[in-house]
Amino acid sequence: MERMEESDADALAQARAGGSDGFRTLVERHGRALFRLAYRMTGNEHDAEDVVQEAFLKAFRRLDQYDERARFSSWLHRIAANCAYDLLRARRRRDESPWPEGPEGADAAADFPAGDPPPDRLVLSAEVRKRVTVAMSRMSAQERAAFVLRHFEGMSIAEIGQALDLEASAAKQSVLRAVRKVRQVLAPALGVAP
Amino acid sequence: MSEKPTHPAEDDLVLHHYGEGEDGEALRVHLADCPACRAAFERVGRTLGAVEADEPPDPGPGYADRVWSRLQPRLAEPAARARPAGRVVLRRLAGTCVLAASLVGAFFLGRHAPRPDEAPAAGRERVLLVAVGTHLERSQVVLLELVNAEPGVSLDVSAERRSAEDLVAASRLYRQAATRTGEAGLARVLEELERLLVELANGPSELEPDDLQSLKRRIESQGVLFKVRVIGSQIREREKQAVTGPSGTDL
Repeated sequence: MERMEESDADALAQARAGGSDGFRTLVERHGRALFRLAYRMTGNEHDAEDVVQEAFLKAFRRLDQYDERARFSSWLHRIAANCAYDLLRARRRRDESPWPEGPEGADAAADFPAGDPPPDRLVLSAEVRKRVTVAMSRMSAQERAAFVLRHFEGMSIAEIGQALDLEASAAKQSVLRAVRKVRQVLAPALGVAP
Repeated sequence: MSEKPTHPAEDDLVLHHYGEGEDGEALRVHLADCPACRAAFERVGRTLGAVEADEPPDPGPGYADRVWSRLQPRLAEPAARARPAGRVVLRRLAGTCVLAASLVGAFFLGRHAPRPDEAPAAGRERVLLVAVGTHLERSQVVLLELVNAEPGVSLDVSAERRSAEDLVAASRLYRQAATRTGEAGLARVLEELERLLVELANGPSELEPDDLQSLKRRIESQGVLFKVRVIGSQIREREKQAVTGPSGTDL
């Protein structure tokens, strides 16, 4: 990881000096990880690709604001998380959900009553994936953003607060509410109490 | 008398799972001694671990090249003129107030400018009615979230607060337009709505149970939701009339 960060420093120096090759190297190095983050937050490939574009563009324009004491990847991921969060909030204001409700339509969650027995092992993985989608669709934009940053990105509550411009207590409550939703939907499929 | 052991709450177990607990060492000791809590903690870990099963799709070969080919032409654009990336920025609602201002402006411009016929004015009125109707519906959604919130617990209202910030400026413009055109009923409802929106926009991002209860009481005692609903349906009725014939009574 340290070597990668060192080579990020070289590419960054080139990009800051106006060399597009340097920035292209950073796109090649971090594009896929950013796509994964954006997909987890937005729930679909099209929006995820838009978020990646926007994040790289913002990062390029703010290169002079990047503090080299922080990891470049963390800085970049915070920008991408913010872009995705903006998109989710805008969607929510228009009452659009970016997340598919699941294969059965709007009532997919009704397929998963709390007392369902765990399904056969062969279909467990597909079942779990389906339930994760349902759980994510039940989260608010803030809960989803906070959960993805905590669970998948490994950010601390304090870092999530900074990234999403929230009080730490609000970030913590968002993570906890999101986890409750995940457990409520997912636990029955795993044969554990929520 | 021995001290009764305190079992951690579910939320504490979740925070401990993420290494965020306030007293991690004490919790570790408790988990070592308490089979029930240890089992609960393992259930938390197992459930959250299963979330990893939902892997994002692979964006395919040549992904970085695709990103770069879209990105490179935009890097040379000055920031102020840069096009938004796809739908991401286009869909931001920062334009709410601008839209309201342009609609109100166009409406008054149309009212006071010489007109060769009435059709364009009717069209402008309908556009404004649609915008005000939509504004009332969105405000209603914000208020409903507060009214329907679970009582007795604190509520994170940061999303509602941001929506309220957007809606306040538009509400003011629509209220001024309504006052100027003699729509007294609409202006009064917009004014009451605006006060609540301002309070929400300027308030904390998390409402304590007492504050939430007090806000709910204000919304309910003033009958704001009912008034918004009534005036909203009158506006929708006028929209239809603006399409099919002369407008009806003022609000």
